[in-house]
Amino acid sequence: MTQQSQTAAAEDIVRLVREPIDARATIELLKAPEDGALVVFDGFVRNNFKGKSTLYLEYEAYEPMAYGKMREISAYLRDHLAIDRIAIVHRLGRLEIGETSVLIAVSSAHRAAAFDACRYAIDALKRGVPIWKKEYFVGGAVWAEGEKPGQQAISAPGPSTC
Amino acid sequence: MRHMQIRVLFFGQLKEIVGASEERAELSEGARVEDLFERYGRRFPKLAEFRGSIAPSLNQEYSDWRTLLTAGDEVAFLPPVSGG
Repeated sequence: MTQQSQTAAAEDIVRLVREPIDARATIELLKAPEDGALVVFDGFVRNNFKGKSTLYLEYEAYEPMAYGKMREISAYLRDHLAIDRIAIVHRLGRLEIGETSVLIAVSSAHRAAAFDACRYAIDALKRGVPIWKKEYFVGGAVWAEGEKPGQQAISAPGPSTC
Repeated sequence: MRHMQIRVLFFGQLKEIVGASEERAELSEGARVEDLFERYGRRFPKLAEFRGSIAPSLNQEYSDWRTLLTAGDEVAFLPPVSGG
């Protein structure tokens, strides 16, 4: 990581949290007078999986590594796109239907960079950050089928299948 | 042959197979990440079935199965991820 991106990354919001994510408050932190665009991805818990009704989800992470990889994603975006600020926030623990599990928001002067960065960040997170989801149904639970993780997801992710 | 202590972490379904999230393993110098996994695969045959879908990490960075271990290393076996 370059000295420049380390300095810039200090402004980014990269967090793993166990309480509900306050999307509105997080978004407001990203806006600056010189920006003109803000793109938000709000991933939340859906009520079904492969035809079964989901009761709730549980997320866990390899926390120090997950923090490192989330910071690498924000640093990579900063080095490659004309963006202002980034927030990558993922919730852990038990989540109910409709609750936000991941919030990604990017501010920029113009819309294209913010759209690109937001899409890139969620795809990279899904394939490169060590986080796991367990789905609870009536009568059982299953670990979500995921993707074999790897460093290539951080710097060159393909389209996500999730 | 000198021995070294390695911290081993398990997550998700691997944690459930092993029945622990963390263990200390003692290996001989010259051991690689794959040797550590093979040892656990012998103890937990179900774990060995996951080998093709696991990514190993070494000191919180993605690693290679052939990487040599050093005393005090932290190794994790990462099953397919499903964040988001």
